[in-house]
Amino acid sequence: MKEKNRRIVAFYLMISPWFLVFLVFGLFPMLYGLYLSFTNYYGFNMNKLKWVGLHQYKTLLTDSDAVHAMGRTLYLTALNVPLSTIIGLGLALLLNRRIRGAGIYRTVFYLPSIVPVVSSVLMWKFMFSSSNGILNSILEFLHIPAVNWMGYDYARLSLLIMLLWGAGGGVLVNLAGLKGIPRDLYEAAAIDGAAPFQSLRRITLPLMTPIIFFNVVLGIIGSLQIYLQPIMLTPGGRLMDRPIDPNYLYVVHAFQQIFSFQRFAYGMALLWVMFIVILVLALLVFRTSKYWVYYETEQEG
Amino acid sequence: MPTTGSSRIGSFVLYVVLVACSIVFLLPLYLALVNSLENWYAVPTILPEVFKWDNYKFATQMLDFWHYFGNSLILCGISVFTSTFVSGLVGYAFARLQAPGRSALFMIVLSTMMLPGIVTQIPQYILFYKFGLINTYLPWIIGGLGGNAFFIFLYRQFFATIPKELEEAARIDGCSIFRTYWNMFIPLSLPVVATVSIFNFQGTWSDFITPFFFLKQVKYPLATALTTINYTEGGSTQIIQQVSVAAGVIFMIPILITFFIGQRFIVDGIVTTGVKG
Repeated sequence: MKEKNRRIVAFYLMISPWFLVFLVFGLFPMLYGLYLSFTNYYGFNMNKLKWVGLHQYKTLLTDSDAVHAMGRTLYLTALNVPLSTIIGLGLALLLNRRIRGAGIYRTVFYLPSIVPVVSSVLMWKFMFSSSNGILNSILEFLHIPAVNWMGYDYARLSLLIMLLWGAGGGVLVNLAGLKGIPRDLYEAAAIDGAAPFQSLRRITLPLMTPIIFFNVVLGIIGSLQIYLQPIMLTPGGRLMDRPIDPNYLYVVHAFQQIFSFQRFAYGMALLWVMFIVILVLALLVFRTSKYWVYYETEQEG
Repeated sequence: MPTTGSSRIGSFVLYVVLVACSIVFLLPLYLALVNSLENWYAVPTILPEVFKWDNYKFATQMLDFWHYFGNSLILCGISVFTSTFVSGLVGYAFARLQAPGRSALFMIVLSTMMLPGIVTQIPQYILFYKFGLINTYLPWIIGGLGGNAFFIFLYRQFFATIPKELEEAARIDGCSIFRTYWNMFIPLSLPVVATVSIFNFQGTWSDFITPFFFLKQVKYPLATALTTINYTEGGSTQIIQQVSVAAGVIFMIPILITFFIGQRFIVDGIVTTGVKG
């Protein structure tokens, strides 16, 4: 009994630093931010806050900038998440074959995802620049008319290309998943005369669904929150610059409201709505997961 | 392995695809290098025309570069040291110690991984401001003491694979719970410790938004300095892209070094923990 109690005490002692920081600097600010979204806080009136009820949330519904930005953000997420999931999985499938120099390819595919936003945006500016930019040189070589990559019509595509460049970050997790699929399943399938494509469709993909699911959920959470890349991609690219309209995403709008216009309370309301949208979407994906995610529960029991 | 005709064509196609993908992924990096050596205000090029290595010298001279570089090292040092240690302790508790409320608390750890950080960032700023912690490194020390949900999860998965008998033997020999963790679990888990340290370093090194909130310019790390200060000449406002990119290349070097040293560890760590899920 004494030993058991000692372990209980040790457990609470060991988790206490994390738990205290979580309560004071995680949970409390979150609830505090929720409270502020019901006040008229604008940055300098902390001592005489006024409760304004749902006023900020009502403003949001009539703020066409916010509504449009939300639409653009959802649209970008709908493109970015499936494409980056497919790229990540495709590259991992290539690397999972017996190949020479696997480590080099692994590094090459993974590298872009660890390049800091600061550096990657600088690089992509060279790719996109309209006067003799690299992408335009390639188009010219292929006899396709040049494109104004940072202009209104193509800015969203440019942002998407830059985001997909980092999709190799999923390669490591996907590879770990692929390596976890038992070899004998493939051998049995080969004996039964299954073609490689059939093995992929009937064995690999079903067994990878938990990892695909993980990537999709994290992808949605991450995509909806994008705000640095569009700002940095803007010519000038300082932290408070306003990106061109197609790239004026929802969290960028929240930042503009807070830091450029000192509308702190409104900004908090914007962020809380974003938070709820993320929760609802994540929940939806969780709900649908029973139809397409395959878990080996009966074996793990 | 005997190779039939069709599989030889198959592997040829495989390598063509791999090399093509590699070129696409490396192209921006290559272009950054080439253009960082170009003349000032030159239009971007694909093939190197000149090799103006001086751009790298200017990148470190036109800003207080090494000062900001030093600030980055301080922040990374704090974060790697505290967060790696605390996350390990918490991960150990969740993996090996039974206590009431454990699974509920672990659900909280997992859910903090899902919450958008941005929802807490601004109230956090107000809080730190009220406590007088703005423009100090204390937010990083506090953050480090809180560990990191992803690292806690990673440690927990790894610690869960270590045999119970080892732990019991240590207990019989009179080892305290903390010493069992420190003298046995940590040495057995060096790949995970390395993985967490590297992720920690990379995350802190490239984070420029948190310092932008919590610090003033003099304490900015390099990442924040490079996004808020322009490389310009004289009174002109035109940015010298070639020097900016050279600075960006230098900025990446520490990240690349840690990645190359650690990539073996990272892959091993994730594969081992991932499979046990």
